Amino acid sequence: MTRPGARKVAMFLGASLLASAGAGGVAAQGRGTAAGMYTSAQADAGGRLYAIHCAMCHGAGLQGTVEVPPLTGRFVANWGGRPLGELFHYLSRAMPQHAPGALSAADNANILAFLLRTNGAPVGGRELPSEATQLERIRFDAIQPAP
Amino acid sequence: MPRSELIPSHLAPVKALYPANRRGFMGGALGLAGAMALPPLLARPARAQGLLAPALVPMRLSPDQLVDMKCCLRPLRAAGPNLSTETVGRKLVVHNYGHGGSGWSLSWGSAEVAVGKALSVLPSRIAVIGCGIIGLTSAIMAQRAGLHVTIYARELLPRTRSFRASGSFTPSARVALEGPAGPQFGDLWEQMARFSWKMFRTLLGLPGKPVEFSDSYAVSDEPITRRVWPVDPAITESYETSGLPRQNAEFARLDSRIRDIVPQAVPLLPEENPFPTPFATRTSQMHFNFPAYAQLLMDEFFARGGRYVMRSFHAPSALAELPEDVIIHATGYAARDLWGDRSVIPVRGQTGWLVPQPEANYALRFRNMSALSKADGIVIMNNNPDLGDMLGVGESMELPQREPLLEAMATLAGVFAGTYASPAQAAGAGA
Repeated sequence: MTRPGARKVAMFLGASLLASAGAGGVAAQGRGTAAGMYTSAQADAGGRLYAIHCAMCHGAGLQGTVEVPPLTGRFVANWGGRPLGELFHYLSRAMPQHAPGALSAADNANILAFLLRTNGAPVGGRELPSEATQLERIRFDAIQPAP
Repeated sequence: MPRSELIPSHLAPVKALYPANRRGFMGGALGLAGAMALPPLLARPARAQGLLAPALVPMRLSPDQLVDMKCCLRPLRAAGPNLSTETVGRKLVVHNYGHGGSGWSLSWGSAEVAVGKALSVLPSRIAVIGCGIIGLTSAIMAQRAGLHVTIYARELLPRTRSFRASGSFTPSARVALEGPAGPQFGDLWEQMARFSWKMFRTLLGLPGKPVEFSDSYAVSDEPITRRVWPVDPAITESYETSGLPRQNAEFARLDSRIRDIVPQAVPLLPEENPFPTPFATRTSQMHFNFPAYAQLLMDEFFARGGRYVMRSFHAPSALAELPEDVIIHATGYAARDLWGDRSVIPVRGQTGWLVPQPEANYALRFRNMSALSKADGIVIMNNNPDLGDMLGVGESMELPQREPLLEAMATLAGVFAGTYASPAQAAGAGA
């Protein structure tokens, strides 16, 4: 029997190997964030939105507190291994907490791109879509933390 | 100058209350007897009735009370704690070591960072190497995040080095050197310190008092000011040139970043000062009672299904043999040898432990000699005030020395008795 954790770690290691094997290998892997699913411009825009709408609670470094969930580390464990659409839906409907649903779909996609980049997911050549149905087909992959 | 001339005239009533014996302290049977022997109780100033100055039970500081000595090497890492990651074979290793004299204080925040990195690869089980306070809090934080955890270590708390600390909340004590740590370290440190502080708040008021606050008095025969350590240009060597810090100015100073939550020392008015000294400050100091706290943590680790394997490691490559794919490395000072990290610098520190005296629930510091009453004993330290953070730096002799502890006990006993010699008196006697 394969342990679920071992499978996940193997998936992460496999993704790393495939990523180093080039774009063709990544495409064969399927649509996951390890393949580069957002653009730098998008993450930059997301960073500006984050500073205005999110940092007041989650912290400038996404570090959270004892009371506020961090948006790195355990955040990946909470949302990783599942469709990115789940996180997008949650962002769209429940955040920012003081004004849920106040941001546009494009803004939320940009914030999502910023969160992916800050957590170490690779940048890609195409924009992260802002349509939930498309995001549901992109997997939030495990991320190897930066050295 | 004789000491009496150092005491301003408005302190005369205070001085009168402190003859050269312990009767001036109003607590305990001795104090009660003393008060009864002095009939005009109501004629005494308000402070004598304990309205402003608390009636403190004097500490017993005679040599017969010294029941234990502990010494260990704080793992000062020049750039601050190592929280980086690397791969060994196919294993992800998350480091969590090198916390200097701040391990207990930063443990929860540091574990949050390390466990967060481990969680990024979505493991279901991890290994933790080492079972000092850093390893144990890392293991528990991982368990609280739903992971199965095995601790691999040569020994468990209380036999690990952490248990030889003094055990106060000192989150910036010899935690980094300012230059090697760089300007960004302050933010990480503050994040860890704030996180830890909130976690410690959840451990207050529990049975056995694993974590508690007590009053901490600093007393002096001179006005009390915060000592600063400007750069000494006469010292030309530094960590960068010699591998060891050479002066106090090299150490990172971070405490002011969290002074909005951590109680700061307040000067006491003469009528608020329980001690026969002209000057005193009081602060509320958080400390850890090791036996209760260590047991609480070990109990939680095992109650959550934690597993312990007694094992020592002698090379990083040995980690590849473990069944877990994600490993938190928390070996403290031992990382200097195990991981070949020569930026880990030994900082020797020792404590004396007296018979517990729970009725004397406070701390006293005088000329950087201190006595802190904890559940498992009164902890004595004798830290040379002229060395500051340089005390013990580069020293790896881990055997305790009795004499400095006895010196501190005798000096502090002199404060209680009102017989301590002022520097002026000492100089006069020597002339």
